[in-house]
Amino acid sequence: MTPADDPRHSAATTAIAGSPGLTDPKPSATGRVPRRPGPLTAASAVLLLPLAVLAVTTDRFLTLDNARAILASAAFVGITAIGATLVMIVGSAVSLAASQTATVVAMVFLATQQLGLLPAVLLALVCGVVLTAAQGAVVGYWDANPIVLTIAAGFAVGAAATWFSGGTPVYPASNAFAVLNRTLLGLPVSVYALLAVTALAHWLLRRTTAGRQMYLVGENRAAARAAGLPVGRVTVLAWAFFGGCIAVAGIFLASFNTAATVTLGGTLTLDAIAAVLVGGTAIAGGRGSALQTLGGALLISVISDVLLLRGYSTGMQILVKGLLVLAVVIAVHLRTTRGWR
Amino acid sequence: MSRAWLARPERLMPVVSLAVVLASFLASPMVSGRQLELFDAYNALQGFAHLGLLALAIGITMIAGEFDLSVVGTYALGGMIAVSTGATSPVAGVLAAVAVGAAIGAAQGGLIAGLRIPSMPVTLATYIALLGLTNVLSGGLSVTYPNSDATLWVDQTIAGIFSPRSLVTLGAFLALALLLGCTRLGRELRAIGGDRRASRVTGVRVDRRLVGLFTLSGTLAALGGALLAYSYASANPDPGLQPLILAAVAALLGGVSLAGGRGAPLGLLAGALSVALLAQIVVTTALPDYSTQLLYAALLAVIVAIESPGLHRSIDRIRARRADSPRRYPCPKP
Amino acid sequence: MQQRVSGSAAGPALDRVQVRVEGLARAFNGVPAVRDASFTVGPGEIHGLCGHNGAGKSTVVKMLSGQLAPDRGRIAIGGTPVELSSRQAAQRLGVALVDQELSVVPALTVGENMLLGDIDAPLINRRRAARARCRQILDGMGLEHLRPDQPVTTLGIGERQLVEIAKALSQNARLVILDEPTATLSDVESAHVFAAIRRVAATGCSVVFVSHRLSEVLDLCDRVTVLRDGSTVATTAVQQLTVDELIVQMLGETPHRLAASGGPATSQAYALRIEGLSVPGRLADFDLTARAGRIHALAGQLGSGASDVLRALAGLHPKATGTVRLRDHEVPYRDPVAAARNGIAFVSNDRKTEGLFLDKSVGANLVATRLPHLGRGGVLRTGREQDAVRSIADLAGLPAGRLRERVRALSGGNQQKVFVARCLDRADVLALLLDEPTRGVDIGGRAAIHRLLRQAADAGLVVIFASTELEELLELGDEIITMRDGRIVRRYQGDADGSALMQDMTHGVDQT
Repeated sequence: MTPADDPRHSAATTAIAGSPGLTDPKPSATGRVPRRPGPLTAASAVLLLPLAVLAVTTDRFLTLDNARAILASAAFVGITAIGATLVMIVGSAVSLAASQTATVVAMVFLATQQLGLLPAVLLALVCGVVLTAAQGAVVGYWDANPIVLTIAAGFAVGAAATWFSGGTPVYPASNAFAVLNRTLLGLPVSVYALLAVTALAHWLLRRTTAGRQMYLVGENRAAARAAGLPVGRVTVLAWAFFGGCIAVAGIFLASFNTAATVTLGGTLTLDAIAAVLVGGTAIAGGRGSALQTLGGALLISVISDVLLLRGYSTGMQILVKGLLVLAVVIAVHLRTTRGWR
Repeated sequence: MSRAWLARPERLMPVVSLAVVLASFLASPMVSGRQLELFDAYNALQGFAHLGLLALAIGITMIAGEFDLSVVGTYALGGMIAVSTGATSPVAGVLAAVAVGAAIGAAQGGLIAGLRIPSMPVTLATYIALLGLTNVLSGGLSVTYPNSDATLWVDQTIAGIFSPRSLVTLGAFLALALLLGCTRLGRELRAIGGDRRASRVTGVRVDRRLVGLFTLSGTLAALGGALLAYSYASANPDPGLQPLILAAVAALLGGVSLAGGRGAPLGLLAGALSVALLAQIVVTTALPDYSTQLLYAALLAVIVAIESPGLHRSIDRIRARRADSPRRYPCPKP
Repeated sequence: MQQRVSGSAAGPALDRVQVRVEGLARAFNGVPAVRDASFTVGPGEIHGLCGHNGAGKSTVVKMLSGQLAPDRGRIAIGGTPVELSSRQAAQRLGVALVDQELSVVPALTVGENMLLGDIDAPLINRRRAARARCRQILDGMGLEHLRPDQPVTTLGIGERQLVEIAKALSQNARLVILDEPTATLSDVESAHVFAAIRRVAATGCSVVFVSHRLSEVLDLCDRVTVLRDGSTVATTAVQQLTVDELIVQMLGETPHRLAASGGPATSQAYALRIEGLSVPGRLADFDLTARAGRIHALAGQLGSGASDVLRALAGLHPKATGTVRLRDHEVPYRDPVAAARNGIAFVSNDRKTEGLFLDKSVGANLVATRLPHLGRGGVLRTGREQDAVRSIADLAGLPAGRLRERVRALSGGNQQKVFVARCLDRADVLALLLDEPTRGVDIGGRAAIHRLLRQAADAGLVVIFASTELEELLELGDEIITMRDGRIVRRYQGDADGSALMQDMTHGVDQT
């Protein structure tokens, strides 16, 4: 396999110009669909072409090691972002409690190592799913504002983390988790987890009743309610999946760091949201896909990598990431509002 | 203060939260065993100065139904600019920071109003970009502010409990309260947040107001960042998400709703004071760190419960079912 | 093509022109909404603007009030051609508007709403002056009981409408446009509004009054312009008009009055039985036994409770009380999910915000509510989904080539067909409830939807619909129940005629 850029870049192109199958914008029979995707696709090409040129002319970019590094660096954020995609699709905008939840999960995971790897993983998963699905239930059944709710949940979970750890790092009793840090066929296990989570999310969204209902609820909650769709249940399901993803990310974070402090989650919350937005999912809900988010996460990773290899500072990487998110948000907005004033 | 006056949530929330927090502040000696001193009040007000302008900046956008996440980015950038340009003349540093903040706000406002994009994703992107920019400017490190006269000046005590920094913050709240309370801008802001379509139909210049609003929020955030940097004698390139969350909490406790259309600067003042006092209580009583977080979580849970239409529907449903059941299973009359 | 009968005659100075609209045209995405609208309004004249759904009234109002730029045509006010580029520009030229949609901001007080967007309002508030003026305006509208500092959230829907009308009438405008101002008002309230309109007109202000309530138009207006398919049909003085003649102008032909067909009686066991259904403040003690195979029509204006019956059954009124039994099973109807699970399908009167998923494809919309039946264990089967989409589209007469398009791209009629068809041909639906099933639908689409409903009834469904349109009620309703102020007025079994229904809906004597 050559670490060529096609898969990544085509993913990125779909992220901007592509669209979920449900909202297939075929030219209508009325023949009056303005050709706005044209300029936008062109614009994204204009944006991506220099990146591609910049990338391939960068020293050490086209190496297997670098491709691995890109994938590995996308894994933690990517896994969380895939879960956040479902939450955004179902119309709950964003969760601001992801970092704290990941931290608690990591602590639970490390503190239960003496039970063996599998029980620890299961416990951690249950912990993440329950914490997050409970928030989903409040959002889904009570129509609570997700931002206020997740700020509250972030405080509560953060407090729990501090209480749980007593403010000191949590160290594992055994290192059964070491297997999660291994590489398989040259790639870290976390990358396989990212791909598996993406595939699962994609299947869930496209092929299951609940997944399709997530798009409907996200697009028009009032209509879904009036039609008797199970708005609450669907919302809880999306959040529960998100919780599972956060838990997986937390488990890998814990294994990677071999200890969990209160600040382990770091900037996971925002990085995940950025990846989802770069993937072209609209914050208002109802559209987006897991593959797009994977593309978004990889695109961010590639750009950071190129900037890193070219010797730019972390600050520049963050700045470019912000500008990229801004550009995609505007492009997606223009695309969805085209044609009707 | 009549009951009707208090019945509206934008008044009830701040009054109750401030009253509760103030009462616990005054009662804190019972836990700490130490008399309250003027210094405690000074410290609380310093904490207020710390997040007040940020809370005001984000609060006014929430009144108009927007949510400006970028204020923390502007806050960090403002501090950095003030520190790097204001070494000889602190005033010039503040002016530079404020000018940049206003420009960023205006650009964002123009984008949001012009394209009618929801503000959250846009300001989130700007937030990330601004943090990056601050990082680039500082080389990723904290930048120290050499002008120690300015540092001493902004935090000197005035009348025992105030400092120039907290007075400026207080002044911003009062000025805005006056501006929004006594001019048409106040009702237009709430109308834009409450029902944007109706505002347009009735002839409010919605787009122009939004640009002005974001400019103002950028200005306030940059001013807050500049003052904070002077006070710490250094500018931190990455304040994290925490200041944003605390500012949002202050705004919510101040009676502002994320749905928009509700709230006033004086409510925001009460909200910001509540958050600052709460932090001070935890310090004086030496409660564990996480108790503040639990308190915030509890307060926000109350807000969530009040503002969840689905919860109200469930309660109505249960009541209606109860009202129905005696009819279906008539009780034998004695 | 168009004959223009110029009204001579009575009252205000009709020979002079204050507002002139000439050859106005506007298209949306290439589809013309207004082709050629022309009329004049004299100073002090109250000018009615009538037309069937989709005739272009609202678009004309939008252009006249500065919300929409015309493609062609001219507007002149006071003899000078004007460019109404925004609401502010229109206000500066003296155009006041009561929008079709309620445009009072609930977040503000009554007094604040009076001042909102008023270009004459000073930058610095003058509380006392504003209060006094507001008081005076409210009193003039019969709203003595409202206080200027009262939050609008404490007002009923009718009072809010009155506040908006009062505001528009108080702006010293040269032209006041009222778009369906009385739809949510009671007769007493309407009387106040008419008196206030006449007072304003007496000062020399021109008034354009848009309404579906034709008797009201004839009562209030000096002349009436009728639009059909986006063009002016005629402008006539009211003295030369009757309701029937107005209807002829609007429709282009005399409406048929079909006798109700009185569908087949089926077994009582298939009935939807509603007993003592009440919604606080909206509906009181509603009883109905709706049999399968028949179409039951609820006739009532906005606020009559007709639409609340349907919404309560669909689970959208959590405060509703009463018993509902479907096929002798009690339905826990206060929750939309439970109502749907028990076989109730609801078609709301607002397909945009509470009906369709506009940015999803036609196909996705058609199967939106039947996804659980298109697979097993929650996993969809593509083939079955495609088959379902095709067969429903076929049933509803939707063009097969457009199933992948976004619903937003369809015409109003086709959108409504998608909305109705979504509930059809489903084994789990026993009762079909429709609120204004043909609102904003062209004639052809209307007939198609009526056919679908009749087929649904014939297939053994309980069908209940609420409507304000006489023709629709008469054409479709096997049983017609007239409603007013949250109560049943009368029940008709196949022997209804339009004027009696209208009488019940607008004046209504309680007989139940």
